[in-house]
Amino acid sequence: MSFHNRIAVLRAERKLSRATLASSVGVNPQTIGFLERGDYTPSLELAFKIAEHFELPVEAVFSPRPFRTLSEQVYKLHQREA
Amino acid sequence: MAVNAENNNVVNNTDTNTNPNTNTKKDRGWFWKNIGFWFVPVKAGTLGPEQWAKVRRMSRTGKRRTRRLVFALLWAPVLACEIAVSLRVVRVDPWAGLISTAWLAILLGLAVRALRIGFAQVSLEDRAEIEYGVEFEALKEKQRGEVFQRAVRDGLFGRVKVDEHEAELRLQAQGAAYRLLGPALLVFVTGYWAVCLFGPFAATRSALAVTAVVVTWLAALVLAAPTMIRMWTQPDEPEETAAVGE
Repeated sequence: MSFHNRIAVLRAERKLSRATLASSVGVNPQTIGFLERGDYTPSLELAFKIAEHFELPVEAVFSPRPFRTLSEQVYKLHQREA
Repeated sequence: MAVNAENNNVVNNTDTNTNPNTNTKKDRGWFWKNIGFWFVPVKAGTLGPEQWAKVRRMSRTGKRRTRRLVFALLWAPVLACEIAVSLRVVRVDPWAGLISTAWLAILLGLAVRALRIGFAQVSLEDRAEIEYGVEFEALKEKQRGEVFQRAVRDGLFGRVKVDEHEAELRLQAQGAAYRLLGPALLVFVTGYWAVCLFGPFAATRSALAVTAVVVTWLAALVLAAPTMIRMWTQPDEPEETAAVGE
């Protein structure tokens, strides 16, 4: 089963380098690259560490189904509020 | 976090050697200033843009699967050559055979180690991002040289930090190797017995049969090892008499 994640988006949003995120969660910078490309599914421990780093629940960073784009979600949220 | 702050952070990391893939602390050491530098073929600030493009293409060699496959295919003939050399020497003098075999095994071990480091090496582009927080193209000539020098040094003398991804890749590779080893050992043992029993060695047949028995049991030991290790290390499995949480 392949998992999807938002690491690249969250990293770009927070202007974080791979190295910073990697050293914060205790892996090699290449591993972050593998995760972002979907070539590697992290362990539960690493998934939680990454989610914790971004201060988000784990389901906001990882999902078994493809994520909707953030812009689409923000637009839908605004529509609902209006 | 601001970009500049981030970049500063990255550069500071390089200075204090918090990054596991770049042993930059060693750069300040006597060895690297006086001796290690000579192991690096290119000095900082001596290459033009075209040469840098060539260097970057070369550095990506190990990152391409097709090229890695070529190296993997070359592995068998290299091993065959080493065995042929060892056999030739051992016939002349057993002690010389032992020494040459040991040397070839050490060289082979170093080559495998270099490959292992190469797998875990980051590309020059990623190094630029990690060490200076900018793309390789945006680096000054001196910085490019430094990035390249560190890449070569790490490739020759660096260590691999085994994180969970690296550990899993190794485990997968070891599992695949073991799956190949099973049938290969069976074929080898069968062939060994066939040679011992039907080969033209009437005078030494009984001695050879003894070695065949030893080889067979060694193979059995190797093949049974994972199961034995699992039996040894697996913890108690308690019976679940009640629903969890009750």
